[in-house]
Amino acid sequence: MNILIIGNSAAGTAAIESIRAHDQKSKIVQLTDEAHPLYSRCLLSYYLGGSIDREKLLYRAEGFHREMDVTLHAGSGLRVVGMDTAKQQVACADGSTFDYDRVLIATGASAKLPDNIPGGIDGIFVLRNLDDVEAIKNRLQGAERAVVYGGGLIGVKAATALNACGLKTTIVIRSNRVLSQMIDYDAGQILSEQLHQSGIDILHGADISEVRTGDNRLVGVETGEGKVIDCDLLVVAKGVTPNTGMVQATGIEADWGIKTNSYMQTNDENVFAAGDVAEAYDIAIEAHTVNALWTCAVQQGRIAGLNIVDKNASYSGAVGMNSLNVCNVSLMSFGITSPKEGSSFRTLVLNRPERNIYKKIVIDSENHVKGIILVGKTNNAGVLLSLIQRKVDVSVFEDELLSDRFNLGTLLKHGGVSELERYYKGRSL
Amino acid sequence: MKKIYCKIQNCLACRACELACAAAHSESKDLVRAVKEKQLSRPRIHVEFIDEKGTLNRVRAIAVQCRHCEDAVCEQACIAGGIRRDKETGDIVVSLDKCVGCWSCIMVCPVGAIIKNEEKHQILKCDHCPELDTPACIVACPTGALVFDEPENTGKEREQP
Repeated sequence: MNILIIGNSAAGTAAIESIRAHDQKSKIVQLTDEAHPLYSRCLLSYYLGGSIDREKLLYRAEGFHREMDVTLHAGSGLRVVGMDTAKQQVACADGSTFDYDRVLIATGASAKLPDNIPGGIDGIFVLRNLDDVEAIKNRLQGAERAVVYGGGLIGVKAATALNACGLKTTIVIRSNRVLSQMIDYDAGQILSEQLHQSGIDILHGADISEVRTGDNRLVGVETGEGKVIDCDLLVVAKGVTPNTGMVQATGIEADWGIKTNSYMQTNDENVFAAGDVAEAYDIAIEAHTVNALWTCAVQQGRIAGLNIVDKNASYSGAVGMNSLNVCNVSLMSFGITSPKEGSSFRTLVLNRPERNIYKKIVIDSENHVKGIILVGKTNNAGVLLSLIQRKVDVSVFEDELLSDRFNLGTLLKHGGVSELERYYKGRSL
Repeated sequence: MKKIYCKIQNCLACRACELACAAAHSESKDLVRAVKEKQLSRPRIHVEFIDEKGTLNRVRAIAVQCRHCEDAVCEQACIAGGIRRDKETGDIVVSLDKCVGCWSCIMVCPVGAIIKNEEKHQILKCDHCPELDTPACIVACPTGALVFDEPENTGKEREQP
């Protein structure tokens, strides 16, 4: 079989490993538009902040592709720009074409650049690829002030990294709290306070109305109220868009991301999609959505790989989740953390802002956990996550969920022999 | 592959396994000297109570440690590629030179077996004591509650908790 993998990050790599675990004969060709060895995107902010060096970015040892017997074609010309599903062929930017029997689209996502931010200005960056980080690092010499546009996960990670580089950093954020997609107001307050204490300014409820330049070089940004922040660097962190371009006009269904079934297969049986480009089932929201997360990409890539070699593996579904450390305060969030007003969900809350501790559990009317926020105390987080994934009825031990002593023992007490068997087998779901 | 199992009916929650584990992973490998080491060694196994109240002979507890899962979600979650399965032993192994302390593995571990080493800002978990014939916790358990064996030989350990 001729297997084509498009993309060289989490999903593509996981697919290759799961294919090769069962099939050493098929030909695997991999295409990527990034001319770097396989690296971990999630570590880029660590590299930017100087806590790890460049070689630590490598996600797999050198020689991985040789060991896996994969022919890797890398370079900007190898960006896939179109495909012909009848001919079973993809076309690259440089005009080259590649045939496939089965193909995995793992093209990831690209950083959004909003309309109010002009392109081609020296000093304006996004934080998505290794090239982006190298560009930012090259600009640090002599730089004193930075603005981060957007207060999501990437924005906060970018701000803490730039702060660690010694730049006076301001986060400009439209909503009333950081990480508004991940956490609620009270958890955001704790995080904001930590960011403040580390020297980062946060401008809530503000927007960038204009970028000020001199000699095609960034000199400052104007925020909505006419206030100007002088800065040498602007990092735009306004989210990502799935790279679905190659399936346009192919008949492969895509909305925000490429639509997949539980086999990570598109509506074309020979075309699979996984990772940041794919819409897959989400257990917490009970609908298909894009979860642009490393773990989800690995799991989806693995499932896609298994199905490419006919192993009939089904994806149990994603839960949106994140882990973040700011100034030694650990923060995690899972699923639906801010239920809409008037919903039938109830919430359990423990709030100790003076000790940087906050916990919240969101439970639906059927007593299933739907969302979790943990600040300060994040041990045993995965045990709580398993309640969402397995739709455990928590009504009997609801009052124990916020306790620091909630752990596997609690589940064994209430779940009996089947919980014990699950533990011994080491089964996550 | 061999794994660690706990006969719940034999576990007294004495935590001898925790001490032995911490000592086995210390610099000196000796409990008395380990407690004086600059960086206190931490156990990778921990006793969790199933019933929190009760007299000593009534309490039910279990010593929890990494299951080296077949479908290891920690391996999938690790953003640094630092958690991998050892091809020879089948164990899930952590490369500490890669761990950046993002706690992604803790976020997904379904049994809560991964522990934070706060001083080093890295993770700790059971490694089955690769340099010993038998893991230290097994040797230390005074009631024989902990066993290290193939899953098919461990029927008794799988009784009602």
